[in-house]
Amino acid sequence: MVGLFVRLKLRLVAGSLKGTGGRRAGFVFSLIAGLLVAIVGFFFLGAPRILEPGMAADIGIIFYTAILTMWIAGPLLMFGLDDTLDPARLALFPLRTGQLARGLLASSAVGIWPIASLFAMTGVIFGVGRSVTGVLLGIVGVPIAFACCLVVSRLVTTGLSGVLRTRRGRDVLAVAVILVVVGTQVPGLLLNTGLNIGPEAIAGLADVLRWTPTGMVVHGIADGGLVGLAEVIAVALFTAGCAWLWIIALKAALVRPDASSQGGGSVRRSRFGGLLPEGVLGAVAAKELKYARRDPRGRVTWVSVLAIMIVMIISTRSNTDGGPTVWMGVFPVWLGGLVVALQATNSFGIDGRALWMNAVVYAKPEALRADLAGRQLAISVIGVPLLGVTAVVTGLLTRPEWILPAALTGWGVMGLVFSVGSFTSVYMAYTQPERINAFTGAAPGQGGQAFVSSIGSMVGGAALSLPVLIPVMSGFVWVSVLMPFYGFGLAWLARRKASEIGLRRMPELMADVSRPT
Amino acid sequence: MTEAVRTRGLVKAFGQQVAVAGVDLVVPAGSFAGLVGPNGAGKTTTLSMITGLLRPDGGLIEIHGADAWADPVKVKASIGVLPEGLRLFERLSGRELLAYNAELRGIPRAEGEQRAAELLAVMDLLDSQDKLVVDYSTGMRKKIGLAAALLHNPAVLFLDEPFEGVDPVSANTLAEVLRRYTASGSTVIFSSHVMDLVERLCDWVSVMSRGQIVAQGPIDEVRRGRSLNEAFLELVGAGESGEGGLTWLGSSSG
Repeated sequence: MVGLFVRLKLRLVAGSLKGTGGRRAGFVFSLIAGLLVAIVGFFFLGAPRILEPGMAADIGIIFYTAILTMWIAGPLLMFGLDDTLDPARLALFPLRTGQLARGLLASSAVGIWPIASLFAMTGVIFGVGRSVTGVLLGIVGVPIAFACCLVVSRLVTTGLSGVLRTRRGRDVLAVAVILVVVGTQVPGLLLNTGLNIGPEAIAGLADVLRWTPTGMVVHGIADGGLVGLAEVIAVALFTAGCAWLWIIALKAALVRPDASSQGGGSVRRSRFGGLLPEGVLGAVAAKELKYARRDPRGRVTWVSVLAIMIVMIISTRSNTDGGPTVWMGVFPVWLGGLVVALQATNSFGIDGRALWMNAVVYAKPEALRADLAGRQLAISVIGVPLLGVTAVVTGLLTRPEWILPAALTGWGVMGLVFSVGSFTSVYMAYTQPERINAFTGAAPGQGGQAFVSSIGSMVGGAALSLPVLIPVMSGFVWVSVLMPFYGFGLAWLARRKASEIGLRRMPELMADVSRPT
Repeated sequence: MTEAVRTRGLVKAFGQQVAVAGVDLVVPAGSFAGLVGPNGAGKTTTLSMITGLLRPDGGLIEIHGADAWADPVKVKASIGVLPEGLRLFERLSGRELLAYNAELRGIPRAEGEQRAAELLAVMDLLDSQDKLVVDYSTGMRKKIGLAAALLHNPAVLFLDEPFEGVDPVSANTLAEVLRRYTASGSTVIFSSHVMDLVERLCDWVSVMSRGQIVAQGPIDEVRRGRSLNEAFLELVGAGESGEGGLTWLGSSSG
């Protein structure tokens, strides 16, 4: 049975090699990335050999905890993509729970990422093990830590599988993906802000993390004595306990009825919908605002925008050692404007296969023009206050008199990106997959379009803003008054032209945004 | 007889594959018309082209005498569409979806709300009106889709497989609404491959096979005394399935 599951997993891996170019490229990418992670991880865990033992152990503990965290988070993010993760898929096979458990465990150990992490983990034997007994403990401890990762990850996935199959569970998960991506930026940010991450900080962190199951193994290897032995045994017992819990969870998951099709609750009726104008513009703007908070893609977009803004504000603070320059006050808001408006470069993408509902109605360019305006209005409703706050905060960190010029510049540049975005939306529309992927925001085969349209709009918007930006940066801050008129005036002209093109291209546009993903 | 829909030589190819090879579809005004054909006959492609969702490679489409692709202003206001695949705005509630459509169609807000409320009641969706469409079942999705298509009281309604995957209760509701609608002189054209249903509901039928219309007219003329199913199988040229093979299947073979 174990062999069968291993072969199944190997076949799933090999299957992606037979797929289309995109899938094959994805496989090659994971292979290279896996190899890199294995080598770099091994190096980072092995190289501390040159450091003093205590420091090496601390680094090992932190890395091992990170590996365990990735083992827990990774499969959750892959849920629904890897069929061996969901017990419900296997519930109908004539297998005993024990057979299934062994098979599933074996299949989680097979694959690019498990092998890569096991290889990286062995580095700790070289980096941390300083005595013969320590190395011996390492030879036993590393496989135990690896098994611990496997079992804990399975336990979490199986325990949550019922929730993960529901629509709400998947929605939460989609947003969690972006939080993970944002989270990876935190250490860099902390370093950037000049916070003191010296040996003391590492030691302090390691002091806590040494009590995590995998951290304990590293601590044991470093200790090399009886305490170390006890720690490795404790982790082995912990792993066995988790395995037992996992089998219980698996049993329950196999017989529990699937509740995923039982619908979610009701949504609150809009309180402010009446404020928007009647007609296409108001309807589209209201719909977009609802999508911004209800659709995982909308949430992810705004969470990332918010994260970028915060990063920029923090970096401003760290650079104000000398006297602040206009650049520091205006640049974050200007860049913020570019980023906020970036969503307008593929305006119809979020509608996807539902775009026909608009298409069967629009008979004149004016209707599509109002539609585009509605979408841009929705972005502005959230983006304008957000940029305003950014301007205030950066202003307070630099010089308060730059708040207004910065805000005006940021708002205006939004309009400029809208202008370019109106054209990319009708000429280079692409499908936004509902299942969010960390590597691409487009359907297979449309990555190039997505890249050109977003980078093009950003560069285009930035270039268009230069006539106003340059005087502002040179100290003539009052020129920024022109920016909103310039930006939104151009956006108005662009909508006029783009809506004519878009209406002519409507069938093609619909095909572009409803590709299979 | 005035014609609600007429196409002449409608053609569409996807690469090498010719999906629709010169369709001359005629549907008289006020009829409840069925467009039947086996899978891959080109029903969906034909309906998509007529409703302006797919660009034809050639041919002419007229809806109440107006050219669908040359005069979209007139045509788009007079048609309602429920395409295949239940593609709806997933993150709106049923009620919001109807309000959205009403506003797009330029129906005043109060009037739109009134119509939406009545449609929701008739479709038996009042309990789920504030749930997101993504959480709807297939039957509920078809009903909300039909409600959205009816909201602006179109003269001609195009429905692609409206009864597929719908439970009998919802199907009955859908059929009742459509019957009332055609009784007032409006036209319904729906595609299906359930012959019993077409036989029961329709007074006009067009049979498609391999991208062409092989028969069309009042249902009794097409049937000519047979059941529609028999007539259909003969028209699309489906032979008797071979008796060979599958000898192992069934309990008699041991």
